[in-house]
Amino acid sequence: MLTVFFDLWSDKKRSKISSVKTFSSSCVFVRLQVVLKIIKHYQEEGQGSEVVQGVLLGLVVEDRLEITNCFPFPQHTEDDVDFDEVQYQMEMMRSLRHVNIDHLHVGWYQSTYYGSFVSRALLDSQFSYQHAIEESVVLIYDPIKTAQGSLCLKAYRLTPKLMEICKEKDFSPEGLKKACIGYEHMFEEVPIVIKNSHLINVLLLDLQEKSTVADKHELLNLSSSNHLEKSLQLLMDRMDDMSQDIGKYNTYCRNLSKQQQQKQQYLQRRQQENAQRQSRGEPPLPEEDISKMFKPPQAPARMDTLLIAGQINNYCQNIKEFTSQNLGKLFMAEALQGHSS
Amino acid sequence: MSRFFATGSDSESEESSSADEITPKATGTTFNKQQALLLSDDEEDTKRVVRSAKDKRFEELTNIIKTIRNAMKIRDMSKCLEEFEQLCRAFLKSKTIVDKEGVPQFYVRLLADLEDYLNQLWEDKEGKKKMNKNNAKALSTLRQKIRKYNKDFETEITSYKENPEQSAEEEEKDDAGSASSSESDDDDDDGVTAKSLLKKKPQEEEKAPEANKFLKGAADEESESEDDEESEDWGSDSVDSGSESEDNEGAAASLAVVFLKKAQDGEKQTDRRKKHKKKERLEEEADEEGDGEEGGWEKVKGGVPLVKEKPKMFAKGTEINSAVVIKKLSEILQARGKKGTDRAAQIELFHALAGISNENNLGEGILVKIKFNIVSSLYDYNPNLAAFMKPEMWKKCLECIDELLDILFNNNNIFIGENIAEDSENLAISDQPFRVRGCILTLVERMDEEFTKVMQNTDPHSQEYVDNLKDEGRVCGIIDRLLQYLESKGSTEEVCRVFLRRIMHTYYKFDYKAHRRSLGLQGETKSEQDQEESEGEDSAVIMDRLCKFIYAKDRTDRIRTCAILCHIYHHALHSRWFQARDLMLMSHLQDNIQHADPPVQILYNRTMVQLGICAFRQGMIKDAHNALLDIQSSGRAKELLGQGLLMRNMQERNAEQEKIEKRRQVPFHMHINLELLECVYLVSAMLLEIPYMAAHEFDARRRMISKQFHHQLRVGERQPLLGPPESMREHVVAASKAMKMGDWKTCHSFIINEKMNSKVWDLFPEAQRVQEMLVRKIQEESLRTYLFTYSSVYDSISMKTLSEMFELDLPTVHSIISKMIINEELMASLDQPTQTVVMHRTEPTSLQNMALQLAEKLGGLVENNERVFDLKQGVYGGYFNRDQKGGYQQKQSYQRAPDQRGGYQQRQGYQRDHKGGYQQKQNYQRGGYRTQNQSSY
Repeated sequence: MLTVFFDLWSDKKRSKISSVKTFSSSCVFVRLQVVLKIIKHYQEEGQGSEVVQGVLLGLVVEDRLEITNCFPFPQHTEDDVDFDEVQYQMEMMRSLRHVNIDHLHVGWYQSTYYGSFVSRALLDSQFSYQHAIEESVVLIYDPIKTAQGSLCLKAYRLTPKLMEICKEKDFSPEGLKKACIGYEHMFEEVPIVIKNSHLINVLLLDLQEKSTVADKHELLNLSSSNHLEKSLQLLMDRMDDMSQDIGKYNTYCRNLSKQQQQKQQYLQRRQQENAQRQSRGEPPLPEEDISKMFKPPQAPARMDTLLIAGQINNYCQNIKEFTSQNLGKLFMAEALQGHSS
Repeated sequence: MSRFFATGSDSESEESSSADEITPKATGTTFNKQQALLLSDDEEDTKRVVRSAKDKRFEELTNIIKTIRNAMKIRDMSKCLEEFEQLCRAFLKSKTIVDKEGVPQFYVRLLADLEDYLNQLWEDKEGKKKMNKNNAKALSTLRQKIRKYNKDFETEITSYKENPEQSAEEEEKDDAGSASSSESDDDDDDGVTAKSLLKKKPQEEEKAPEANKFLKGAADEESESEDDEESEDWGSDSVDSGSESEDNEGAAASLAVVFLKKAQDGEKQTDRRKKHKKKERLEEEADEEGDGEEGGWEKVKGGVPLVKEKPKMFAKGTEINSAVVIKKLSEILQARGKKGTDRAAQIELFHALAGISNENNLGEGILVKIKFNIVSSLYDYNPNLAAFMKPEMWKKCLECIDELLDILFNNNNIFIGENIAEDSENLAISDQPFRVRGCILTLVERMDEEFTKVMQNTDPHSQEYVDNLKDEGRVCGIIDRLLQYLESKGSTEEVCRVFLRRIMHTYYKFDYKAHRRSLGLQGETKSEQDQEESEGEDSAVIMDRLCKFIYAKDRTDRIRTCAILCHIYHHALHSRWFQARDLMLMSHLQDNIQHADPPVQILYNRTMVQLGICAFRQGMIKDAHNALLDIQSSGRAKELLGQGLLMRNMQERNAEQEKIEKRRQVPFHMHINLELLECVYLVSAMLLEIPYMAAHEFDARRRMISKQFHHQLRVGERQPLLGPPESMREHVVAASKAMKMGDWKTCHSFIINEKMNSKVWDLFPEAQRVQEMLVRKIQEESLRTYLFTYSSVYDSISMKTLSEMFELDLPTVHSIISKMIINEELMASLDQPTQTVVMHRTEPTSLQNMALQLAEKLGGLVENNERVFDLKQGVYGGYFNRDQKGGYQQKQSYQRAPDQRGGYQQRQGYQRDHKGGYQQKQNYQRGGYRTQNQSSY
C-alpha cells in the first residue's frame, strides 16, 4: 500500500516550489497517518503535563504544505548526556529515505497541556526551524481536548514580523514598539486539512459500517468543571506573571523618567554655569559624556510579556469555547426539561 | 632634582660651615700666632706619649666622622648608620679622656649636624620615597638612635646650635689648640712649668661654666682682666661697661677677634637681657604681691591667675567690703572658659569667696551671686557635653542649689532674672531690693539634665546606681521648692517650664499609695512611714493640675506636647484607659509627631507603648495590638524607646551620631520592660490572629494581622526538635499551636504558668485581674477558633457541649456564636428550643473560589496597567480616568453578583470591612510613628 501512496504523491513532489522568499501556504494538509502517529506517541510516552515532540516530514505542493509522515524525538533522561539528537534525526531521515518515504523536514510537532504552549522555548525552536526551512510549521496537539471527543490539532507559524524581530533579537520595549507587534500578531494559525488517500477513505467508510460502537454520546454531560478549573488555575498563574512583568516595566518607566529629569537638571545647571563662566570670561566647562554619567536603567525584555499575553489569550479562547459549549448544553437541557414537564 | 635639592640644603649647611671656616681661619691664624707664642714655650715639652694617648682616640673619632660626613653627602644611610655605631663605640672607648676633656667640639658638631641632616631627610617625603628599602630603614633607625643618643649631649648641642660659628671656630681652634690644651693638661700630669700651670688656671675657670665653654684659654693672652670682667659679667649680669672694654680691647686685637667678640657679646647681651627680664618679672611679681597687700587685690596678668596665689584671697588686714568682693568675683569670672584655667581651682575660689562674704556679712545679694557662679562653674567643669559630673561635684551642686533656694526663700527682696543687666545689678545696697542676674530655673533644669546624665552613665545593675537614684528625691525636692518659688514670683513661661520638670519626674512612677487606696487597703498599712506617704497628694491629682495649667498657659508647643504625652502615660500607667485614649485622640499628636525632635518622639513611643499595655490590661486586645504594632513590627523597640542602642554597622551611624543617640537614652529606672512589651504584643497578636487564620484558612491570599507573630510561628516550626518551651516567645508559640486546635486548656497552661508569671505577668500591678482577663480571652478565642476550624465537621452542635468544653457559661457562648453569625463568619443558625447551632453548608466550590481569586488578580493587573498608563500620560492626563475606573469596579461587582447565594463573598466583604474598620480604629496610630520609624527615630 505504501508504494501506491508514494506513487500518488510523487508526481506532486516534482512540482515543489523551490526556495520561496515569503512563503505562505494557505493550508496544511496532514495525513491521517501522521495524526495517528502523534496521538500514539503521546499515549505511549506523554504523561500528565509532560510534553512530547517529534519531527514532521513532508513537502510543499503549490501553496500548501503537505505533511506526510513524522517520527518522534526519543525521550531521554538526563543521564545519557552523549545522546545526540541531531545525529538521531539525520539517522532517522536517512533510514526513512531508504524506504522511500518523504524525508524532507517541514516542521515539528508538540503536545500541549491545557493549551499552554506559547512559551519562549517554542518560539525559539520554531524560529530556528522557520529560519532554516521557511515553510515549516509546528503542530500543536492537545491530548486532553482530544480525549473529550474533539480532535484538537493546530498548526502554527510565526508571522514575518515576529521573524524579523527574532532575527534582530531586539526585545526592548522600543524595538517591539517599532515593530508594532502585539500578542495577536505573533503566531498565525494555518488551517489544517486532514487528507487521506481515497483508499483509506474507502476503508474508513467500510469500517464505519461495521463498527459496533453505539453512538451513545453523552452530549449533555457537564462534567467539565475539572477542565475549567485547570484552565483557570493556569490562567491565574499566567496572570501573576503578567502582573509581575507589568510591575517591572512600571518601575523601569519610573526610573527612566526620573533619570531623564536628573539629566535635564544637570544639563540646565551646566548651561547656567557655562553662561556664568562666559560672562566672567572663563572658558566653558568641558563637555562630559552624559551618557556615561547617566546610564539608562536596564530595560526589561518585553518578549516574555508578549508571550504571556499570547498564552493568556490562548487560555481565554479555550475557556470561552468551553463555557459557550457548556452554556449551550445548559440551555438545551433547560429546554428539554421544560418540554418534558 | 629633589635629590639635588635635598643635598643642596645639606651642602648649604656645609657651605655655611665652610663659610664659618673662613673666619675662623682668619682668627685661627691669629690665634695660632698667639698660641704659637704660647706654644712655643712648651713646645719642647710636648711629647709623643701624650699624642698617642689622646690623639689616637680623637683621630679615630675624626676619621669616623669624616666617613660619616662623606656618607651623608652621598646619602648612604646604611653606611651612616654603620659608621655612627662605630663612632659611638669609639667614643665610649675614649670615655676616660672625654671625662677629663669634656666632649670634643667636633663630636658635638657632628651629632648636631647629623641630627639636622636626618630630620631634613625625614621631612623630605619625596626623597624618602625614592630611597631604597635598606636606606630608608637605616634612616629611621639612625634617626631613632641619634635622638636618643643626643639627649646625653643636649647642652652641648644647644650651645653649638646657638652659635655654630663659634663652635666651628672652636673646633678649628680645638684642632689646632687641642694640642696645646691637652698638652698643658698632660704637662700638668708631668708636673711641668709654672707657665703652663698659670695658663691652666683660667682655663679651668672657664670650664666651670659649662654653658659657654669658650676656649678662652687661647685668648688668654689678650687679658686676664677681661676674662675676669667677663666672668663678672656672667655672674652679675649688670655691668655694661664690659662690652665697652671689650670693644676697646677688640680694637687692640685683630679685626677677626673683634668680630668674634661681637658675636659673643651679642649673645651675651641677649642672655643678659633675658635674665634681666626674668628679674624684672620677679620684681614685678613682688610688686604685685606688695600691691595685693596694699590694695587688697592684685592685678590679673594675662588673664590667668596663678594657682599659687589662690588660697590667699585677700591679704590680711584688708577691709573686706562688697565692692572688693564683687571685683574679686568678676576677676575670677574673667578667667572662666579660658584655656589653662584650672576649673577645679576656680570652684574652690568661689567657695572661698562665698565663705569670706559670709563671714563678713556682706549681704545676701553677693552670696546669691556667688552661688550662681559656683553652680555654673560646676556645670562648666566638664569640657564636653558627653561627660557626666563626678559624684562629689554632683553632691556639691545639689547642696549649692539647695542653699541658693534657701536664701531665695528667706529673702523676699532678692530679684533674680536673666534680663537684669550686669550694670543694673544691685548686690550690696541692702535698703533697696537686691537685683541679681541669673536664672535659677536654668540652673535647676541643667541640674536635672546632669542628673539624667549621671544616671545614664552609671551601670544600672550596680549599687552605685541605687545610690545615685536616691538623689532623685533631692532633685524632686529642689524642683518642688523651685516650683513653689516660681509660682509666687516667676512668669507663666517659667512656671510652665518648671511644671514640665515636675511632670517629667512624676509621670513614669506608679502611684502605689493611690493604687492601694483605690483597692481599699489603706487601713492595712500600719507603719508610720506608709501613713505619712499616703498623706501626700495623689500623683494623678498633681499631674492633672500641672498638665492643665500647661495646657492653658503654655505657648511653646513642645512643653505642651510633652505634658500631654506624660499625662497620657500617667493615665495609662494607672489603667485609666479611656482617659488616656481620649487624650491621645484629642491631641492629634499622631499627625505631627514626626516633626518633633527625637526626645519627644521617644516620649511619644513610650506613651504609645504604655497605652498599648494599658489596653491589654483592660482586655482591649485589638487596641493593644494596634498601639504596639508599629513599635514591635520595626524590630527596633529598644531603640525607639530610647532604651539602648542596636548594634549596627558603622556606615549607618558614625561615632558622632552614636554619641548623640547615647545622650538620648532614657535612664534605666524609667525603662519599660521590653520582654513584657513583646509578650503583651505577641499574646494580643495570638488572640487576634489564630481565630482569623482559622477563619481564612482557605483564602488564597489572606492578610496577616501581625507579621511579627507569624515570624515567631515560623521560627517555632523550623525547630527540628520541639522541647518544652523555655523562653517567653516559645511559650507564646506553643500556646498558639494549642489554640489552633481549640485546646484552650493547654493554651492557658502555656500562657499562664510559673515561668511566665515571673517573667511577665507579675510585673503588672494587678496581675491577678490581668490573668483572669487573659483566661477568659483565651477561652473565647479558642471557642471561635474551634468553630471556624471544625464547623465543617458538624451538622449541628449543642451550645451546652460547647459551654462545657470551654468552661464558659451558656449566655457567653450564645453571644459569641450570635456575633459570629451576624458577622457572617459562621454559616449557621441557632436553634433556640434545642439550644443547638445548625451549620449551613455554603462553602464555595473550588471553581467559584478560583473565579473570585481570578477576579481579584485581574483587579490588580488592571491597576498595575493603569499605573503604567499614568506614567506614560503624565500624572494628570489619565486616559483611564475615574469613570473608567468606576466602570471597572462595577464590572467587578457585576462579576460577583451572580453567585450571591452563599455568604462567602460577604465574608470577603467582611474581610474588607473589617480591614477598613481596622484602619479607622487605628487612625490614632497610623499617622504617628509609622513615618517616624522610617526616619532615624
